[in-house]
Amino acid sequence: METRAKTSSKEAAPTAAKVEKWGLSRRSKDRIIAVMSPIVLLILWEVTVRVGLLDARFFPAPTSIASTFVSLLQTGELVFNTWVSLQRLFFGFLLGGIPALALGVVMGLSRPVRAAVDPLISATYPIPKSAILPLILLIFGLGEASKIVMVAIGVFFPVVINTVAGVLEIDKIYHDVGKNYGASRWQVFRTVALPGAMPLIMTGVKLGVGMGLILIAIAEMVGAKSGLGFMIWNAWQTFAVETMYVGLVVIAVLGFLFSLLLNELERFIIPWKSDQQG
Amino acid sequence: MSNDTTPQQDGNATRSREARVRGSRAMQNQDLDSASGSKIRVKGLTKQFTSKGGTFVAVDDVSLDIPAGRFFMIVGPSGCGKTTLLRMLAGLETRTSGSIEITRGDTGRPVNSMIFQGDSIFPWMTVWDNAAYGLRMRGVPKADIKETVGHYLDRTGLSKFAGSYPHQLSGGMRQRVSIARAFANDPEILLMDEPFSALDEQNKTLLQQELLRIWDETKKTVLFITHSVDEAVTMGDQIMVMTAQPGRAKVLIDVPFERPRHVLELRARPEYGELVYQIWDSLREEVQRAQRVEE
Repeated sequence: METRAKTSSKEAAPTAAKVEKWGLSRRSKDRIIAVMSPIVLLILWEVTVRVGLLDARFFPAPTSIASTFVSLLQTGELVFNTWVSLQRLFFGFLLGGIPALALGVVMGLSRPVRAAVDPLISATYPIPKSAILPLILLIFGLGEASKIVMVAIGVFFPVVINTVAGVLEIDKIYHDVGKNYGASRWQVFRTVALPGAMPLIMTGVKLGVGMGLILIAIAEMVGAKSGLGFMIWNAWQTFAVETMYVGLVVIAVLGFLFSLLLNELERFIIPWKSDQQG
Repeated sequence: MSNDTTPQQDGNATRSREARVRGSRAMQNQDLDSASGSKIRVKGLTKQFTSKGGTFVAVDDVSLDIPAGRFFMIVGPSGCGKTTLLRMLAGLETRTSGSIEITRGDTGRPVNSMIFQGDSIFPWMTVWDNAAYGLRMRGVPKADIKETVGHYLDRTGLSKFAGSYPHQLSGGMRQRVSIARAFANDPEILLMDEPFSALDEQNKTLLQQELLRIWDETKKTVLFITHSVDEAVTMGDQIMVMTAQPGRAKVLIDVPFERPRHVLELRARPEYGELVYQIWDSLREEVQRAQRVEE
C-alpha cells in the first residue's frame, strides 16, 4: 500500500505538466485516440473501394452502407430489430447475471459449495454455447424464451467464474476484521465479500455482455423473425450485402457503447479503485 | 506527512467536554470490574498445530491475570506465538486447551476489538464507514454512531478525511483509522497486534503518543503485543516476556513510569534505559535460541 501511494504520486507530477502542455488530461487523450482509430480505418476503406482495390460486391463502401443505414432507419426496420435485440439482451443479462453473482459469492465464501459446484462449472463452461442452441430451441421453443436463455447462459459463466475469483482474492485479514467486529454471515456477504470482489465482478460483467452480444446474434439467425441477427441472416438470403454490414456495424457500435457505459459504471461503483488515476 | 502532526495540536480543544461525556461511563464500568478483581484471566492456554511434520506447540501453558484498566504488554521474538495467543483471545483461533475469562461489565458491549497488524481497514469503505464498522454491525442507533465516530475521528485527527478512501491516505493515517474503529466500538478489552510495526520510526513515535492520549480518556484494559522492547516500555504498565518455541511466559516486569506519559521525554530518562536493558537481557537468549531453532 505504501509503495503504491508513492508511485502514484510520482506519476501525478509528469501528468500535471502534460495537462498544461496539451490542455488535456491523459484520460481524455485516451478517449480521443479511441474515437479516431476507427474513423481513420473507415476513410482508408472508402478510398480503397473507390480506386477499385476492394471488390464493392463483398466490401461495399462505407458511404453506401451509410445510405442503406439511413433508409433502414426511415422504414423503422432497424430501430425495431435493434430494440428487440436489446430487450432480449437486457432480460438475458438479468436472468444469467444475478444468479451468477449470488452463486459466485456463495462459492467464494463456502468451501463445500465450491467443492460441489466447481467441477460442474469446469465441465459445462467449455461446451460451445452455439452447440447448445438446438437443445435450447427444443426446450424453450422458437419464442422469446430461447433467445433470453441463450444470452443468460453466455453471461452466466464469465460472471460466476470472475466472482468466485474475486471473493477468493480478498485478503484473509478482512474476514478476520468482519468476524472480530461481530459481522453476521449476511453482513460479511454485504460488507466484505461483495464489495471486495467487485473489481473482478465488473470484469466478468464486461466479458458477459460481449458474450451475450455474440450469442444473441447467433440465436436470432436460427430461430427468430426479428432482431439484429435475423436482419443479417435475412439480408444474406436476399443478397442485400449493405444491410448485412449495417447489422454488423450496429452490433459493433452496441458493443462499444456497452463498454463505455460499463467503464463509467465501474468508476461509480468502485470509486476506491478507479479514481487512483484521476 | 504534515497531516500527521495535526491531531496532537487540536487534541486538547475538545478534550474536557468529551472527558465528561465518556468519563462517567468509563468510571461506572471500572468500578464494576475492580470489585471483581481481574478483567482478563487466562489459565493454562495452549495451542498446538498438527501437520505432517509432527506437532508444533505455538503457545505452551500460558496463564495471565490482568486487572481492569491495565495496559498490558507481551514482548517476544518473532515466531514466539504471541500473535497466536492474541488471536485465541480475539476468538479468531481455536485453543487446544486452557481457559479464557473476560469479565463483562455492561452487557451491551462487545467483548473485544482488535487493532490488526498492517493494513486491515476496508479499501472499499470511506474513513467514516471504516470507523463506524463495529457499531453498524451490532445495530447501534444512527445518532449514537454519528456522535461516537465523530468523536474518535476527531481524536485521531481524521475528521477532514472522513469521506476519503484508504488508498488516498498514508500508512500512518490508515492505522489511525484502525485505532478509531477499535475505540469507537467501545469493547470490554482492546487487543493490539503489533499495530505500528509497518510504520517508519517518526510515524511510530507519533502514533504511540496519540494512542496513549486516546487511551487515557477511557483507560480500557489493553493487551498489546510487540517485538519491540522500546515500545513495550513506552506504552505498558506491565510487560510479559515470552520465550520462543514453545511460546511460554518467561518473566513479568512492572513498568513504574507515571501517566500521562510523554513518549520522547520518557525515553530520555535514565530509568527508561535501565529497564529496556533489563528486558533486553532476558530477551537476548530467547532471540538467540529462536535463531538456532530456525537454522
